[in-house]
Amino acid sequence: MKKQINRGKIIIYLIPLFILSGCWDQREVEEFAYVIAMGIDKPKDDENLIKITYLIANPESGNAASGGAGNEPPREVISFKTDDFVVSRNIANTVIAKQISYDLLRILIVSEEFARDENFIRWIYDATKEMEIRRDAKLMITKEDTEKYILNNQPKLETRPHEYFQMIIERGNETGMTPTSDLTTFFRITEADADLFLGIYSTTEKEERSSNPINPDNFKAGEFQYGGETNNTQFAGSAVFKEGKMIDVLTIEETRLTFMLNPTLTAQEILTTFPDPFDEKYRIATRLTKNGTEDIKINTKKSTPSIDVNVPILVEVLTNHSMEHYAKDSQKRKTLNKSFEQALEKKLNELIRKTQEEYKADPFGWSLIARKKFLTIPEWEAFDWMKKYPEMDINITVDVELGKFGRQGDIPKLKEIRD
Amino acid sequence: MIKLRKSVKKKDKEVSESPKQNKETTNLTIDPSLEQTLKIFREIYTVPTNHDVIIRNLSIPGKDKPAAIIFIKTITDPQIIEQNIIKPLQSSTEPFQSIEDIVSAQTISTENNINQIATKINNGNVALFIEGEDLAFLFDASNFESRTVEKTENENVVKGPKEAFNEKAATNISLIRKRIKSENLVVESAIVSNESKNDLFIIYQKDLVNEKLLQNVKARVKSLDTNAIQNLSLLEQYIEERKYSIFPTTLYTERPDRAASFIEDGYIILIMDNSPDTLIIPATFWSFYHSAEDHYLRLPYANFTRLLRILALFITLFASALYVAVVTFHAEMIPPDLLLAIAATRERVPFPAAIEVFIMEIAFELIREAGLRVPSPIGPTIGIVGALILGQAAVQANIVSPIVVIIVALGGLSSFAIGDISMNFAIRISRFMMLLSASIFGLYGITSIFVMGLFYMLSIKSFGVPYLAPMTPNYISSEDTIIRRTLQKEIFRPGYVKPKNLKKRQGEN
Repeated sequence: MKKQINRGKIIIYLIPLFILSGCWDQREVEEFAYVIAMGIDKPKDDENLIKITYLIANPESGNAASGGAGNEPPREVISFKTDDFVVSRNIANTVIAKQISYDLLRILIVSEEFARDENFIRWIYDATKEMEIRRDAKLMITKEDTEKYILNNQPKLETRPHEYFQMIIERGNETGMTPTSDLTTFFRITEADADLFLGIYSTTEKEERSSNPINPDNFKAGEFQYGGETNNTQFAGSAVFKEGKMIDVLTIEETRLTFMLNPTLTAQEILTTFPDPFDEKYRIATRLTKNGTEDIKINTKKSTPSIDVNVPILVEVLTNHSMEHYAKDSQKRKTLNKSFEQALEKKLNELIRKTQEEYKADPFGWSLIARKKFLTIPEWEAFDWMKKYPEMDINITVDVELGKFGRQGDIPKLKEIRD
Repeated sequence: MIKLRKSVKKKDKEVSESPKQNKETTNLTIDPSLEQTLKIFREIYTVPTNHDVIIRNLSIPGKDKPAAIIFIKTITDPQIIEQNIIKPLQSSTEPFQSIEDIVSAQTISTENNINQIATKINNGNVALFIEGEDLAFLFDASNFESRTVEKTENENVVKGPKEAFNEKAATNISLIRKRIKSENLVVESAIVSNESKNDLFIIYQKDLVNEKLLQNVKARVKSLDTNAIQNLSLLEQYIEERKYSIFPTTLYTERPDRAASFIEDGYIILIMDNSPDTLIIPATFWSFYHSAEDHYLRLPYANFTRLLRILALFITLFASALYVAVVTFHAEMIPPDLLLAIAATRERVPFPAAIEVFIMEIAFELIREAGLRVPSPIGPTIGIVGALILGQAAVQANIVSPIVVIIVALGGLSSFAIGDISMNFAIRISRFMMLLSASIFGLYGITSIFVMGLFYMLSIKSFGVPYLAPMTPNYISSEDTIIRRTLQKEIFRPGYVKPKNLKKRQGEN
């Protein structure tokens, strides 16, 4: 009898467990419309609304196993005005059949115009409220209107949008041409109020390029001239955010230099050229990799705080148009080494000057190191890194180590060939 | 194996329905009058209706007295009866020669209780009655039909002995004696059923076995009060502690080498006629997870297979449950490529993911069960029909998505890596429990069922030995749990069976 009562009790306890916790909010994966990229714009006519553009992936495109329906397009784009991107999920359902899901939202696209707006930060912080938006989503800035950007962005081969964005952003990080630009980093830097945040910069509009013909890899998105039959979109350079507001755009070269100075960023392979010290006509192609961690010494005790940075760089020489035998000549190697160091130091110093004078803040994440010099947070806040930065005494030294000289070190003697 | 069990059960039923033995003969002793005695036995064995019971009258010339032998011809060796019993008796001329000297049978015993004599005859003895003697002479001439020693069928190994037990206890004991040539090996016998008088052999090494464990086993065997226990598979269910538990607590093996190595570690094993297996007592979780080959293969290979096996175990338990949980509750965990692929294949499937997986899981179990039951010539056909037609057609008809076929097939295939049939069932049943809780509660459900399962396993004891020993609780042992060590480092016998001598060998160092 007692056993029966116990059993009855257990059942009574179990039933509410099923009813209360159960699977009533579950939804099958195919019942969602997955937003891969979301564009956020400021409509010109209305101050209090934003314009949302959804890029929705069609899971069935390019899937052989599902059988039939092979002709469906890989994506669907919808753009409309709304209060914010939280309520927009419902409003979109007036057109889109499935429930909008941000589960796969990997990229937030903001137009440059909106990013430069004072009020941008008010809207972007909605991303911290929305349950489904991941903090590792990327923040990207486009030169044009996001709707236009998304419509113009038509990858020829990577037709599935999530694949395209994932690949091109990853590759941009590896080559140092675009910054990592995580949403969480944006919030962290904005809230720390000490450094600059770099966001990915992209556009689908080509512009006629006039200035700076000397260095062919110093450009930003839109300035790259190319022909052929391919996508119109360029990912190049970075948008500079100060205190949650965009202030400028860095070129590819500047972005790469930032990678070198910033201890939190690593580019795996930077292919770039340097002027040849032996013949001014030519440039030497090199692969740059960080050779260990940069040595950053910050002294905050002095009246003018100082930063000494030593950047170790491994340089692999990949071309040799002047046909000089530096692989076997230590003297020439020394010259080469020195010329690389000087070129890099010069560029880095220019960038530092630009950040100190123009931006009045650093995009290098140095405040994270400087923070450790203070015992308490109020002390650190009283120091006011951003305010002190423009006056700081910054010394950059580059420590170049020469790596391989291509697969074959030797080069034929030009004189012997042309005799 | 399942087939065998079921048919055995049926037989068991028939036996219990048969009429009870005559109670009045229980305490009767035999009459000196041969005529009277034979009358009693004719009655007991319903001769001549009973076809194979033979009562042969003969005379012993030396004694000049009529005599008779009784035996059952289907379970005795005619050669022995003729050459060693009848012939010497008929040709003896010495009047004072004793029966022991005349008959050249291997064993001779005397008995005067009719009931005991009948039992002996039932076991293949020949009973000799002589006019004027109030006791019977019993000669062992038993010859029960049985298979020869054959190859293993369930616990196959590539490297190592291939012999398996058969249904004859004497052969099985011989196979063990062949491996342990020690005077310390004791084969005790006990009768476990009232009517069929089934013999049980308790085998152990007397210098190792823990007395308490031995008493425990003997007590449980003695306390049985049933008419018949045909074989070990049935005995197992009589003596185990938790009859409703899904985890087995006795290890059932058909390999004499495995049984022998357990005896050498201080375990007790049980052998019965009609069982091509032994029961090893006690059993821990690890003994089900191990296979005989683990110690025959060289260390790296053995541990490689061990790791594969534990991987297979977890795949079996979790694959389908994880799929259901992740797809219905935690879609954000899946990489975009995979999520979109799953969403695409599920687009036209009419069922929720949980139902879909259940359909396939049940289909798989059906194929498996049906595959066991079909006569062997049709077996492969069923496999092809099951796997190809069902899987392929179900996908094409959009009943299930192809990913589910992969997941269920993977889980099903992995389940075969756990060789022991009892543990195999335990894992398969737990898989359904996992799946059910995953489809209701998601990952939380999987976690809680797994934790509950672990708690439960920790609470089980097999003949006083914790189920997960020596891992939890920790005991001195050779630490042969998930992976094994080199043979030289396996110094200790398992501490949890409390053997009299804990050390197997001197250590390497």
